[in-house]
Amino acid sequence: MIAIYKRELKSFYGGMMGYLLDAFFILVGGLYFTAVNLQGGYSYFSYTLYNTCFVFLIFVPVLTMRSFAEERHNKTDQLLLTSPVSLGRIVMGKYLALMTVFVLPLAVLSVCPLLLRIGGEFSNLSNYSAIFGYFLLGAACIAIGMFVSSLTENQIIAVLGTFAILLLTYLMSGIRTLFTTGSSLALIVFTVLLLVISLLVGLNSKSLSLGCMVFVLGGAVLLALFKLKSAALTTAFSGLLGYLSIFDPFQNFVGDLFSITSIVYYLSVAGLFLFLTGQSLEKRRWN
Amino acid sequence: MIKVEHLTKRYGNHYAIEDLSFTVEEGKIYGLLGPNGAGKSTTMNIITGYISATSGTVTVDGYDILEEPSAARACIGYLPEIPPLYMDMTPREYLNFAGELKGMKKAARKEQIQRVMDRTGIAEMADRLIKHLSKGYKQRVGLAGALMGSPKVIILDEPTVGLDPAQVIGIRELIRDLGKTHTVILSSHILSEVQAVCDQVLIISGGHLTAQGTPEELSQRLSGKTALNLTALGSLEKVRAVVEGVEKIGGILEAHEENGETSLKVEIPSGQDLRAELSAALAGAGCPVTALATETLSLEDIFLQLTEGENAAGQQEEEPAAADQEQEEETKE
Repeated sequence: MIAIYKRELKSFYGGMMGYLLDAFFILVGGLYFTAVNLQGGYSYFSYTLYNTCFVFLIFVPVLTMRSFAEERHNKTDQLLLTSPVSLGRIVMGKYLALMTVFVLPLAVLSVCPLLLRIGGEFSNLSNYSAIFGYFLLGAACIAIGMFVSSLTENQIIAVLGTFAILLLTYLMSGIRTLFTTGSSLALIVFTVLLLVISLLVGLNSKSLSLGCMVFVLGGAVLLALFKLKSAALTTAFSGLLGYLSIFDPFQNFVGDLFSITSIVYYLSVAGLFLFLTGQSLEKRRWN
Repeated sequence: MIKVEHLTKRYGNHYAIEDLSFTVEEGKIYGLLGPNGAGKSTTMNIITGYISATSGTVTVDGYDILEEPSAARACIGYLPEIPPLYMDMTPREYLNFAGELKGMKKAARKEQIQRVMDRTGIAEMADRLIKHLSKGYKQRVGLAGALMGSPKVIILDEPTVGLDPAQVIGIRELIRDLGKTHTVILSSHILSEVQAVCDQVLIISGGHLTAQGTPEELSQRLSGKTALNLTALGSLEKVRAVVEGVEKIGGILEAHEENGETSLKVEIPSGQDLRAELSAALAGAGCPVTALATETLSLEDIFLQLTEGENAAGQQEEEPAAADQEQEEETKE
């Protein structure tokens, strides 16, 4: 694991990539810090962080695109996957290296709250808890990017795919407000979702009847909900979209706020996608 | 050392390999021989744990590749068809990384890197970037990487493809040298290479194991199938009847008639020379023999015979030099 971590870091800082990414991150953070905190006079560093969330849309796809796509394209994954190192350690080694490239500029930005203290008394606790939240947000995004990279051997597809997913989740809170009324739309969306699930069930079990059964049963439940409790369906739909909005929980760290729920949410997302990355690599063995 | 049992790999409806079983003994050099697409790389990828078989088991040094993958892989050094090199590293860094993956301690790594580089002859390239090396050197760096950690088994997939003749000879010598201290499995579609290097040959065709043995055994197997090419004046029926009347004669492999001349390919038992009997019998029946030649099949012929229908033509094009071992004797009356 350490070997993979070291190699990955070296490949980032051996060339321009690592420095460029980190410089970009610090530049945007510094600009917003100047504008929001120093000139705008806001006392919370979290406002700066909140306003720079969009950085992840560019930083993460470029950071993660190479991780597994490049290995697969150059066939170097054959070296890793036939070595005595287990799959989990390979994934973790890569992930930790990516996290390091992200944490370094974040550590530089962590000096900013201290600069604010020159001008007066500010709550260090709230500022650093916000940085912690920002760190978790990045951890979740990077796990997603790495997963996308493990699906393809084309880095362009990896970068665009990660960007599309992150953009969607970034805009999700806005998209969500469009769908507050009308449960028929929710019904359609859930039906499509159900169709996908039953297809997957059918394909995985290689049984047409099982897939149909899942679809029919799920459809009946959905219809019943639609007739009896259409409001519940709309709420569930909105809730579902809420879970897909990765950037929203970070709001719980802005100002004097702190949220255990958000921490759990980010750790779960990161864990889930790390697990999926391992699964997608494992699946390749079988195809 | 390695036990492969009933290995099958299916892609959709296509079987890359089907019900493949063989055993690899310690300290020998094995050659997997077969035309392109015969399933050699698939077999190697399964043995090394890169891909999983649809069914069947692989045991390496007593460890099942699926149940104890790390222990099994620790015994193997693998050089895939395309060497898995990181272009932005130097050979020294790459070997260090390969050693780390194998779990070697730092001091042992340093010492072995030097030894492996000397052995594969890349010491003078140690600190150049791999992307600037020639193909032959890249191949050697890949091979050196496979040697890191002194694995018991070294698996090489087409180690000489794309190299110039001098490099091919160099790599072959290296492999023979490795065979003294390691168990080596290499794959090739070039027969002469396998013949020159390997103690044991496994011929794979269409995903099946079609023959197995030492190069000498395989040659012998074919010499049990000596054939006579015979041309005589007379109709097909008549010549055939006379030939079949000769004692100890085997089957007739091919027969065709052209302009009153009949050409036959007759199988005869090994160690027998029936030319005199045949020509006497045919002359006696009024069918003078115009040409008679013994054909001793070379390993190349067996290989082609065993893998027939795959891409026999392609093989001959690629390796014309190996096809020159046919001995022909012609007697004309």
